[in-house]
Amino acid sequence: MDFQAIHDRLRAIEAPGLQAADEPREPNKEKKDPGRSGNPFVTVDPARIVEFLTVCRDDSKLDFRILIDLTATDPKADGEELSVLFELLSIRKKHRLSIKASIPKSDASIQSATAVYRAAQWHERECGEMYGITFVGHPDPRNILLPDDWVGYPLRKDYEFPTEYNGISCE
Amino acid sequence: MALLENAFEENVLTTKVDWLLNWARLNSIWPMTFGLACCAIEMMAVGAAHHDIDRFGAGAFRASPRQADLMIVAGTVNFKMGERVKRLYDQMAFPKYVIAMGACATGGGPYFKYGYTVVKGVDRIVPVDVYIAGCPPRPEALLEGLMKLQEKIRKTAVIRKPAHLV
Repeated sequence: MDFQAIHDRLRAIEAPGLQAADEPREPNKEKKDPGRSGNPFVTVDPARIVEFLTVCRDDSKLDFRILIDLTATDPKADGEELSVLFELLSIRKKHRLSIKASIPKSDASIQSATAVYRAAQWHERECGEMYGITFVGHPDPRNILLPDDWVGYPLRKDYEFPTEYNGISCE
Repeated sequence: MALLENAFEENVLTTKVDWLLNWARLNSIWPMTFGLACCAIEMMAVGAAHHDIDRFGAGAFRASPRQADLMIVAGTVNFKMGERVKRLYDQMAFPKYVIAMGACATGGGPYFKYGYTVVKGVDRIVPVDVYIAGCPPRPEALLEGLMKLQEKIRKTAVIRKPAHLV
């Protein structure tokens, strides 16, 4: 199925939390590096993301058995929102789906997808330490890459670089 | 003296203690098996047949810091690994030497500006004897670094305490 067909199917089965279908930002041709336009995606209510993913996985027409990516972005430095992004794949049906759920920076928490896709565990740990997102219900929410005593969320746009770590200067 | 006369000429060599110890040390610099990033691939190439670091007596890569004389820091050191690098260095027995291989280990390399977890030069953690430029350095460069280290060892004197230990 192409994106339109997937979206129609999601509408037909009234997938919980589905908000809208959206197109990625056009590449900015005026810039030296215009960037790359991504895939069309659906936006989902973050409060119902687990139900939505469950439906995507279990619906026989959609058949998204694999979570191939779970990441986050911080679109604007002065913005109020973080985006959590999911990428689902169905090998049998040969299609994929990009999902975006926006959560406020002030209360950056979302239900963990580990109950639906266990592959989400490490991805959520990485998102947690890099963006400061709390994944509620994650079985093991430790840091995965950064040291345990790390302060700050490095991939947030307002992140300030440390000047020293454990006595090692970073200047 | 008649009993011992001419008895040693064929079997005994005389030399300086410095020369002898340095000769032994610089021809058996055993490195630690220790690769952190892409530089380690070049280091493995140096260990393989084509470049053959064994010609310099430094081919016995030891899997334990207790048996190693040389730490080749081959790759990017981040803070999490930096603690381990320090600990490994502390576990090595004297005399011990460090080669900072490549741009990352020398000064942070491409991660200097935006690498929030990268140690900007391994010399902030452990004392470095030889720095090798390159990203990554060619195997020949690592061999040259090893030869520089051998030169350095050749100049050390046993009686005086070496400057980096004072």
